[in-house]
Amino acid sequence: MRTFSLTILTVITATLLLTACASKNNNGPAKAVEDYLKALVAKDADRLSTLSCKDWEDDALLELDSFQAVTTRLDGMACEQTGTDGNTALVLCKGKLIASYNNEDQELDLSVRTYQVVQEGGDWLVCGTR
Amino acid sequence: MGLIQTGASILTSLLIGALTRFAQTTRVYLLLAFSIFAIYWFQPAVPLRSFDFWLPSITLALVVLTWFIISGRDTWHSSQNLIALIMIIGLTAIIDLSRYFLPEPFFTTAAPPRFILYFFFIIILTIFISLINWLFRHFFWILSAVITLLILILIILKTPALSLQTSIFIRTLTNRSVENASFTDLRWLGFSYIAFRLIHVLRDKSRSPQFALYGSERDKQAGRLPELALSEFATYVVFFPSLAAGPIDRAERFAQDLRKDFFLTQDETLLVGQRLAIGLFKKFVIADTLASIALNNLLATQVRATGWMWIIVYAYAFQIYFDFSGYTDIAIGMAHLVGIKLPENFAAPYLKPNLTQFWNSWHMTLTQWFRSYFFNPFNRWMRGFKNIPLWTMIFVGQVSTMLLIGLWHGITLNFVVWGLWHGLGLFIQNRWSDFIRARYPNLGQNTRVHSALQIGGILLTFHFVALGWVFFALSEPSLSWQVFRKLFGM
Repeated sequence: MRTFSLTILTVITATLLLTACASKNNNGPAKAVEDYLKALVAKDADRLSTLSCKDWEDDALLELDSFQAVTTRLDGMACEQTGTDGNTALVLCKGKLIASYNNEDQELDLSVRTYQVVQEGGDWLVCGTR
Repeated sequence: MGLIQTGASILTSLLIGALTRFAQTTRVYLLLAFSIFAIYWFQPAVPLRSFDFWLPSITLALVVLTWFIISGRDTWHSSQNLIALIMIIGLTAIIDLSRYFLPEPFFTTAAPPRFILYFFFIIILTIFISLINWLFRHFFWILSAVITLLILILIILKTPALSLQTSIFIRTLTNRSVENASFTDLRWLGFSYIAFRLIHVLRDKSRSPQFALYGSERDKQAGRLPELALSEFATYVVFFPSLAAGPIDRAERFAQDLRKDFFLTQDETLLVGQRLAIGLFKKFVIADTLASIALNNLLATQVRATGWMWIIVYAYAFQIYFDFSGYTDIAIGMAHLVGIKLPENFAAPYLKPNLTQFWNSWHMTLTQWFRSYFFNPFNRWMRGFKNIPLWTMIFVGQVSTMLLIGLWHGITLNFVVWGLWHGLGLFIQNRWSDFIRARYPNLGQNTRVHSALQIGGILLTFHFVALGWVFFALSEPSLSWQVFRKLFGM
């Protein structure tokens, strides 16, 4: 058991050093919104759930349901943090979400809404729009 | 496992097999390393944040815990075991740390949790394993407690109501929406198989002479487990080809293959290639094509005509066979490429003339597991009661075993009915065979009569099994009853 504990200690120390050397995490608010939109067009309910805060989870799944009958894709999507409101980061995206039905495209401009993103337990989560 | 994961696993097996010819130790470490990555990579997405990381991590924790219990204290400090332990902790740490250095999740479906959480997980795990081992030194019942823990986890995962409550509990703890909780939230890759492998070694350990927790001398002799290194044991439990859907191998047999030097001849390579091609064709072409017309909840309500209903029931019977046996072919083929001869799981089950033979050739490793760890000990126990009639013992033994096999698939009413269907079927077939054999001992001697009986038996058995799938494939007994009514024009 002593060897086991020593082994764990060694590995943990090594990984802590690795963490320190690792590049800063890139899971910022803008990345969180980009991942959210990617999950939305992929109709990945599990991923969408994990990228939404508690209060937004229902709305996120509802939004996903509204796209169930159409094929969706993103065109030129790029998000950027534009500011903060208290603990909430505000993110604006460029590009379009294209919903196709019967070869007919409907373009939804991503820049018409600002995403509210909050940090929970170290992760940035989409928590509403304005 | 999807096509990409299957393809990558086949290529990895080829690579490991080619790189480690006659290099037994390197092969074990490489197999362990890829198997560790595989349990994270194959784990399906779950809506509970970071659980695509935590579930495989708990699997590995259970593997390590079990190994400490079954292995001798004098082997803990060997360099081989130390390397394996460093590999397990180190590789899982790398997977967790990938959150910081990969732009997109690669090993898991979503970003792994923060490292500090993993750090606490390891600390808690160390304390837990130390405590269990300390207790185990003083109380042998700890071994039974770990078996109970594994069965308890299985029961929670297999019971929709308990799974839902667990999901609600986790969601409450992690500040998630409770309204969206579902019993499908805890999709734990391969846990049914992993738990059965762990129970097998723990149960065999409990039968070994130094414990003598249970029964007869025969048990103790049969249950002697060889000493397994951590690398061998962990590779056995999470071996990537058989991770998701078996077969359930035995630890001592698996270890024998691992310890052997191996070299695939040209003929063997060709045979493995054939097996893999057949498996891929069965699973990704035949089964996936049949899936669109195979029985499911939606088709059960939509299809009205008797003829079509029979077609979708037949389609399901063949779809489940080709899917499962195709997967098994792929698993056996991949394992063969790295020198492991996994046991067969299927032997033309739909061509068997009676239900007993069917169950000796369908998901064979699961039925063997239940035979070894439930049916045989249970029957031996019943034989202790001198006043129980033979037919009662056969009835209780067969029905309870099949019921448990049903419950292993899921603790729902439909799986209970499916288990009872087969249990009663086996009992009736057993009694009927005895009755016929006693009345007409020369019945099968005429070639024509024998052939007619064989063909009749195959058709009858296939239809009995196919009708049983109506309970297996659907979620509600009322829905199954509707299908039966349509099948028989009622």
